[in-house]
Amino acid sequence: MDFNRRQLLTGTAALAGTMMLGSPAVLAQAKPRVVVIGGGAGGTTAARYIAKDSAGAIAVTLVEPNANYQTCFHSNLYLGGVRDYASITHEYTALTKNNGIELVRDRATMIDRDKKEVVLAGGRRLPYDRLVVSPGIDLKYDSVPGWSQAAEEAMPHAWKPGAQTLLLRKRLDAVPNGGVIVMIAPPNPYRCPPGPYERVSMMAHSLKAAGKDRCKIFVIDPKETFSKQGLFQEGWEKHYKGMVEWLGPKVHDGVKSVDAASGTVVTGFETYKNAALVNVIPAQMAGAIARDSGLANASGFCAIDPSSMKSAVDANIYVLGDACIAGDMPKSAFSANSQAKVAAMMIRGELVAARTFPARYTNTCWSLIDTDDCVKVGGAYEAKDGKIAASSTFVSKTGETAELRKQQQAENMGWYAGITADMLG
Amino acid sequence: MALPRLPAMSVGLLLASASTGAPAGDRELGEYLSAECVTCHQISGHETGAVPRITGWPDDHFVAVMNAYKDKHRDNPIMQTIAGRLAAEEIEALAAYFGAVQSQSVAK
Repeated sequence: MDFNRRQLLTGTAALAGTMMLGSPAVLAQAKPRVVVIGGGAGGTTAARYIAKDSAGAIAVTLVEPNANYQTCFHSNLYLGGVRDYASITHEYTALTKNNGIELVRDRATMIDRDKKEVVLAGGRRLPYDRLVVSPGIDLKYDSVPGWSQAAEEAMPHAWKPGAQTLLLRKRLDAVPNGGVIVMIAPPNPYRCPPGPYERVSMMAHSLKAAGKDRCKIFVIDPKETFSKQGLFQEGWEKHYKGMVEWLGPKVHDGVKSVDAASGTVVTGFETYKNAALVNVIPAQMAGAIARDSGLANASGFCAIDPSSMKSAVDANIYVLGDACIAGDMPKSAFSANSQAKVAAMMIRGELVAARTFPARYTNTCWSLIDTDDCVKVGGAYEAKDGKIAASSTFVSKTGETAELRKQQQAENMGWYAGITADMLG
Repeated sequence: MALPRLPAMSVGLLLASASTGAPAGDRELGEYLSAECVTCHQISGHETGAVPRITGWPDDHFVAVMNAYKDKHRDNPIMQTIAGRLAAEEIEALAAYFGAVQSQSVAK
């Protein structure tokens, strides 16, 4: 009884102290530790919200091998010449300094779930009370016959940011007028559902701006339909007439093989020879650390509890963003950011008895078709029937006014500034 | 067994006592809900593109604008979706939370 009473009093004193600083409730106890794997939209947001909202009561360590962060979102705008590369490149300095987060520049190679430790490539082991796994995607290099990791220089994917993004831009700029570009689009589920089609739009925009309007972009798609299809196809017809041809599986009958050396793509319908650029966006799966640690199921992605983002197989681990199975939510930076806030709240609830509320999620994805012609899709989501289910959705309509489309591009730019500040501020 | 319940109860009491003269909204609930907003609307008050500042607004103004989206009198589908699932007390909580951020955002 005495022990309990003392704990209660200590807890109250600590609480009063932190309240004066405007901070949430903290129990007096050894400082709990959270390790976050992955410095993308999910990982940075989770690290920041746990650190910021616990005001030093939880030790947060972010594990990320890259020195800088290039956003995948808006990398198509870089490709189209709408943004420069510096503007989609960010540092982790403010995130770590402003929020008291330890950044470990290393790669997580293993999770020892029994010991609750993350093992790094450099040999260091990081113990955790709760672990956030947000590694993004890995590419299935064997999903396109004839393509491989060795072929990614000749036929870039640019579906992970950085060197590949720069390479694709360089290759696009080198395409001669009249050159053929072939994009092999990915099967579901994949990162950024409208992304391939915004990319096609930005490629066409760049070609047209350079006076290369005799170029042709063929999209070989394994899907019967795609995100914002009517909007993109309307836009291609309006802005890039004759430059873009989308082929569904019933038409092309599948990609039979590609040959990186000769720039050849063979489909059941046609063979494209001497393509000036082939952009292969392959099938995808959760990042290796999630799969190697037994967090992924047979789909290659990780099942989660939709009310918390907690892993379905390990109560000490949360999986966020592209690596998780988020029901109706698309794989997007916006989704990862939204999921991270739910996870951060639940983790603070578990570790420092912070107040928790029912999970709710949001997403919006903007896509730029041409200068000041931007469309959007989005929704609100909640835990329902064992998954994250859409409670309300919206999508732009065909035939919208130029004024509205321009306004939506201004929103898109505002969102980019907002989410990067929210992740990295 | 009663220990884990204490902080939440105390927070409620302390908030109540600290909020004398403050808006009626539950600021802690507002802070949680605000996370949804600050993906686009910067908590610093900075404005970029077509995403306006939402900090430091008078309570009644904030509530009126959110209700206009909720009732679809204002036409941005994102805001209609966000506001559409907020209950009246949740909109009040957000108004209380973002209203209190005023002093930080107005500072030059």
